[in-house]
Parts: sequence; C-alpha cells; structure tokens
Amino acid sequence: MEGCPRNICPKLLDLIPQGREWYHEENNNTDQEKKLELRLGPPGGYEEDRSAKKNTETRNNNIMKEQTEISSPSKNHLSPCNKANVSHISQKRTAPGPVVGWPPVRSFRKNLASTSSSKLGNESSHVSHINKNGDGVTQVEPKREGMFVKINMDSVPIGRKIDLNAYNSYEQLSFAVDKLFRGLLAAQRDTSSGEREEKPIIGLLDGKGEFTLTYEDNEGDKMLVGDVPWQMFISSVKRLRVIKSSEISSALRFGCRRR
Amino acid sequence: MNYFPDEVIEHIFDFIASHKDRNSISLVSKSWHKIERCSRKRVFIGNCYAINPERLIERFPSLRSLTLKGKPHFADFNLVPHEWGGFVHPWIVALAKARVGLEELRLKRMVVSDESLELLSRSFASFKSLVLVSCEGFTTDGLASVAANCRHLCELDLQENEIEDHRGQWLNCFPESSTALTSLNFSCLKGETNLAALERLVARSPNLESLKVNRAVPLDALTRLLSCAPQLVDLGVGSYENEPDQESFVKLMDAIKKCTSLRSLSGFSEVAPLCLTAFYPICQNLTSLNLSYAAEIQGNHLIRFIQFCKRLQRLWILDSIGDKGLEVVASTCKELQELRVFPSDLHDEEDNDTAVTEIGLVAISAGCPKLHSILYFCKQMTNAALITVAKNCPNFIRFRLCILEPNKPDHTTSQSLDEGFGAIVQACKGLRRLSVSGLLTDKVFLYIGMYAEQLEMLSIAFAGDTDKGMLYVLNGCKKMRKLEIRDSPFGNAALLADVDKYRTMRSLWMSSCEVTLGGCKRLARNAPWLNVEIINENENNDLMMERNEEDEREKVDRLYLYRTVVGARKDAPPCVTIL
Repeated sequence: MEGCPRNICPKLLDLIPQGREWYHEENNNTDQEKKLELRLGPPGGYEEDRSAKKNTETRNNNIMKEQTEISSPSKNHLSPCNKANVSHISQKRTAPGPVVGWPPVRSFRKNLASTSSSKLGNESSHVSHINKNGDGVTQVEPKREGMFVKINMDSVPIGRKIDLNAYNSYEQLSFAVDKLFRGLLAAQRDTSSGEREEKPIIGLLDGKGEFTLTYEDNEGDKMLVGDVPWQMFISSVKRLRVIKSSEISSALRFGCRRR
Repeated sequence: MNYFPDEVIEHIFDFIASHKDRNSISLVSKSWHKIERCSRKRVFIGNCYAINPERLIERFPSLRSLTLKGKPHFADFNLVPHEWGGFVHPWIVALAKARVGLEELRLKRMVVSDESLELLSRSFASFKSLVLVSCEGFTTDGLASVAANCRHLCELDLQENEIEDHRGQWLNCFPESSTALTSLNFSCLKGETNLAALERLVARSPNLESLKVNRAVPLDALTRLLSCAPQLVDLGVGSYENEPDQESFVKLMDAIKKCTSLRSLSGFSEVAPLCLTAFYPICQNLTSLNLSYAAEIQGNHLIRFIQFCKRLQRLWILDSIGDKGLEVVASTCKELQELRVFPSDLHDEEDNDTAVTEIGLVAISAGCPKLHSILYFCKQMTNAALITVAKNCPNFIRFRLCILEPNKPDHTTSQSLDEGFGAIVQACKGLRRLSVSGLLTDKVFLYIGMYAEQLEMLSIAFAGDTDKGMLYVLNGCKKMRKLEIRDSPFGNAALLADVDKYRTMRSLWMSSCEVTLGGCKRLARNAPWLNVEIINENENNDLMMERNEEDEREKVDRLYLYRTVVGARKDAPPCVTIL
C-alpha cells in the first residue's frame, strides 16, 4: 500500500497525560513533538506564499524546519507537481475575506443574530436562494449580503446588531432603532410598578429628542448621523451609538469605546 | 436452516431490522436471498443515483418504507447548484405504476415538486408517513394534496425545507375524519398559519405526540394548543418577540404544567426571555432541548433554564451560552449524549467574549461521561484540550469540530492541531464520523488512516499539504463510506492511486482541490461503474467535451463521484458533466 508507512509508530501515547493537569507548559509540547519519529517532507517553495496569511507564516516555518524528507520509494514525481501548484493553493487557502460555504452552517443560521432587526434582508436573501425559474440565476450565495453593524444605547447594557442594507433613508433607520430599543429601554427603566410603559424613541436625528443617534466612521471618528447623503453614510459607518442628547459634547470629546 | 419451510425463515428474518444485517443475510445463499428480498419492507438508499426505481421494485416487491437521499452533504452550504438533481418524481411515478403498497417515504436533500406530492397522495392508499428533510421545490399546495388525500396519514414531518408558502389553507385540507395524526411538524414554513384549522386538527388528534409549529403561531394560540394536547411528548414552539402580559403568561404556564409527558422542546426563534421561563415546570423531564434558533436569548437566561434540565440527553444550543454556560451544562446534565454548539454571530470580526473556546469543550468532556456525539463551532482550540477531551471521552461516535477561521493553529503554541485530532482518533475506537478544522498538515491524516478503523464519514476543509494526506486516509480507513474535501491540496495522484477503493465507498466530494480534468477523465475511463461528475457553473456540456490536451491540466472546480449500478444519470443540468 503506497504512502502509508505502517512500520513507523508516532509516540502519540506520550502525549496523553496520565493524570496530569492539561495545562502543559509550552516547552513540554515541543519536547513531545521532537520525540515523534515521523517526518513529512514538505514540497519546496511552500513557505513563500504564506505571507498573505497573518500570524501563521513564522509558525509554519518553524514546523517545516523541524521536519525532514521521508525517502519514499514511490511518488517522487509528486513533489514537482505540487511545487507548481502549491503557490496557487496557498493563495486559495489563505485568501482573506468571505469564503463560499464557510463556515459550514445552513443559510438560515447565518442571519440568526439579527433576524428581528432585518427581516427585509432575510427575505431578499431567501428569495434569491430559491430563484431557479430559468432566469439563469444559479447563484451559489444570496445576492444581498446583510451589512450588520453593532448598535449600542446609553443606559441599555445589551447591544444589538442592525442590517443597514435593509434601509434606504435616515428616517427608516431612525424608526428601526426605535423598534429595536424601545422595549429594552423600558425594561431598564422599569420601577416597582408592575406596568411597563413603553415610550417611543423619537427625535434621534434632529437633536430634539431625549436621545441622539451617532456613529463611528471608518476613520474612528464619532459623528452625528444625518449630515451626509445616505449612501455616503453607508460606505463609511462602522458602528452606531444612541446617546443621551445631553451628553453630546462630552461623548464626542471623550468617546470611550467599551467592548 | 434449510429444513424449515420458507415461511418460518421469513418469520425469523422479521426480527432482523437493521439494513446492514438484512443485506448480510441476503448474501448467504440463493434461497435466503430470495426469502429476504421478498419479505423486505424497509429499504434505505443513501444515494438516489446509485440505483433506479425499476430495479428497486423488481428486487423488493413488498416494499413499504423507502428512504432516499439526494444531493451531497455540501449542498447544505451552497456548494452544489440548485438544479444539480435529486428529483424524487421518477421514483414516485415508478412506485405508483408498479402498485407498490408504499406506506412511508423519507427524503433528504431531494427536489420534490407539488406534482410529485399530488401523485404520491393519490397513488398509495395506505400511505402513513412523509418525512422531508432539507428538501426543496414544492409549495404549500403540495402539502394540501397530501393532507386532503392521504386518509391514513399519521406523520407529516417537515424539517428545514425550502417551501414556498402560498399562505393557503393547507391545514384546512385535513378532512374532519382525519384523527390518526401522531406527528406534525411544519416549523420551516415561513408564512401565516390558519390557527383555527390547526386548533381543530390538534383537538381531534388524540394520538398526537409530536407537534412543531412555525413562527406564526402566537402565544395565546400555543396555550390553546397545549390545553387540548397535554399528551404531547415533543413540542416545537413559534416565535414570541414581545413579552406576554401577566394573564397570558399565567395561562401558558398552567397549560405547560399539564404536559407531563413532554420530553423534547425546540423552536424558539426570536423569543423574549420571559417566555422561556414559562417552561420551567417541565424542565426536569426534558431529554431533548433545541434552543439553537434563539439568537435573542442571552447566555445567562440559557444557563438559568438549563440548570433545571437534569435529564437532558440531547442539547442543541448557540455559542452565546459561553464557556461558563457549558460548565453549568457539564455539572447539570450528567445524562448528556449529544451536544451541538452553533455559532451565533457570524458577522462580528472582533473577539466575542461570550463565544465558546476549548475551555467549554474540555468542561463538557469532563462532566458528561455518556457523551458520544458532538458538533462544536468555536473560535479557537488547542492540542492540549483535544488530548484531554480524548482521554475523558473515549466513546465518541461522532466528533465534529469547526474552528471558524480556516487554518487557525493551536492558539497557545501556534502548532498545527495534528496531535489533538490524532489523540481523538486514537482514543475513540468507535469513531464513525469526523470533521476536522484548524491548521492541519498531512500528519493528521496519517493518524486518521492509522487509528480511525471504524470511520465512515470524514469532512476535510483547508487541510493537508500533499497527496500523501488523502492517500493515508484512502489506504487506512477500511470502512470509509463518505469522504468530502474542500480547499485542500490533494490532486490526481491521490485520486487515482486506488480506483477500486471507490467500490467500497458511497461517494467522494472534492472541491477547490488540485485534481484536474485529465485526472478525472482517466478515473472515469478506469472505473466505468463510477459516475464521475464535474460541476462547473460557468460551463456547459459541449465546451467540456471539446477540451484539448492543454485544457486537461485545468483544475476541476467541483468533483463528485459515486458508485452506481445504473450508469450515468440522464437528468444532469448543463453545469454538470458526467465523464
């Protein structure tokens, strides 16, 4: 049977601790690693193209350096083949950004976190998913990706996420923010009385309400929502924050971002 | 045994239920083969293209229950075009034509049309049970015909299907005389539900044990349903965004208290935390709990709920439960056998404090001695943790670990995770299903080939270095049935090394790997009993066949091959080429 050196036994059992704490110290691991006799020969040129991948370049180099070639009786012609292809593969495997079909969860799970705030977004992606009437639409991923940003509100400890692609104007956004936080805000303000009064959250955009909508843009600056055209806002917004109107100047000055 | 008349042997065979065992029996002798096939009632077909309906019916004339699977597993993640295939219609046509006394049909990842459902409902007078999992292509009109025409229908179970909801009156189509329902699941329907019709149906179904409603069933309707079906064992609830008022809440809780047989709870898409507390009275009876759609519920609410569920055997949850929550599960749920932890927030690129890590996994393995199945999505993992898990839980049958970032190494040592997974396969001698992730070299596959003797299904993504990796698996895992690989550097050498291996496997999937058109063509030539399918969405058949020498070196986007006794299928769409 090719490619399976059964006569070599990696000392795997050494790695299973006999009643030791599982927090090994780092050098223990490296010792165990070196005890393993099995070595796999990497194809040459493998290290060059890992520069695209952050964090793993030096680590991979370390792993490769510890290993030496196996003298395999067959399959030596594998190496040149792989050499030529490896650079292509490395790029494929380390490509940043969204990967089709990854992580391996069903479509309906991908939008769970913001189902309530962007039903519109869900429906459009659902429709494009089953659109196979011969329009020639045979897409693999839904066309409309949601653009989800975090939104926090003063005096509400729990943040939400909101799909900005579901809206076309500041008014719609303002309405959605009200819908998102009205209940939560009322819950925070609940006093000993059993009844909970839910007041609508208004005046987010004109400074006249109790709260004002602000955002953090791609340069890290905190801005009032509503100054620029909607599309420009969409292209630069990174997260939203609903702050007390009374706090405006201090928020912009000292803006502390809690995680 | 041959001294007994056939009827006696047949009676003995009746006690043998497992498909594997019955398949073995049929190989003993000609007479046993005949007795077995004539008495066989239940048939399982893992790949609907491995055989055709005519041959099925010829061999098993007494067929009552048929299970069919269509699209490959990766279709769940949008890697297979919608029009790829897996149509159930020809099966129903053939079964109807042959007047098979079909009573039960179970389909997974197949394309079902309203026409198919209509034909089904009219062709089999004793039809009792329809189970559709991850299917698509039909609407509520199809359901209406099943409801209307299948007079002995006991089970209608729709799990995670894509159903076009015409918001019609399909529930109304159950005749008033229909009182035999034992199981009704329409949780995947997205539209409105005729609540009155549903309530009447439930009220006249005294044998109803399993009821899973969709999001459109509000709290007060649920309360009424529970009141007239306190015998329920398995309940799936709807969506309750708004918290109930005092009165509704009390009524709901009273209704729930009466459901003393309730063992399984699911649903809860968008549920306000207070609604969850209404179910506290039956927590201690629950053996199965699925809260994996409840993205709105914060970890602490989940923990509070689970603390009461001491008899839980199966738990599906979101990672918002956190490591702390998993520690609570570990100390509470000592009967736990299956755990699935799904990712809740896939759009967040920052670190999320409440996601789960290796700590939660180790805690579960230490606290739950009966654990045998796990699906775990997490952001980080270490070899040390996996080694500990292997030592704590040598009984794993299914171990699926998905580290969200491809190629991520052990975050404390920056090493690959070869050793960790190696420990798992070495300790878990009964392992049948494995999914690996994180940074992995060929070494992990050496371990898998060496130790995973019972492994039947293996899922690989972004792993391995050379063809050797895939070869270790193909050569070592004698019981391998389904191998699915994506984005890994395995090529023609591995694909072609042992063509006969594919006789023993159901299927092989390779996408974004190194196999070329030339390699696939060579495989197809050497193995005429295989269907070698190339899926290229931007191509069509004619272009593919005209390719010259240079083009044969071009990499194949998606390859799906499977053994078959009926040759190339005729229903392949343009984007699929069968070599």
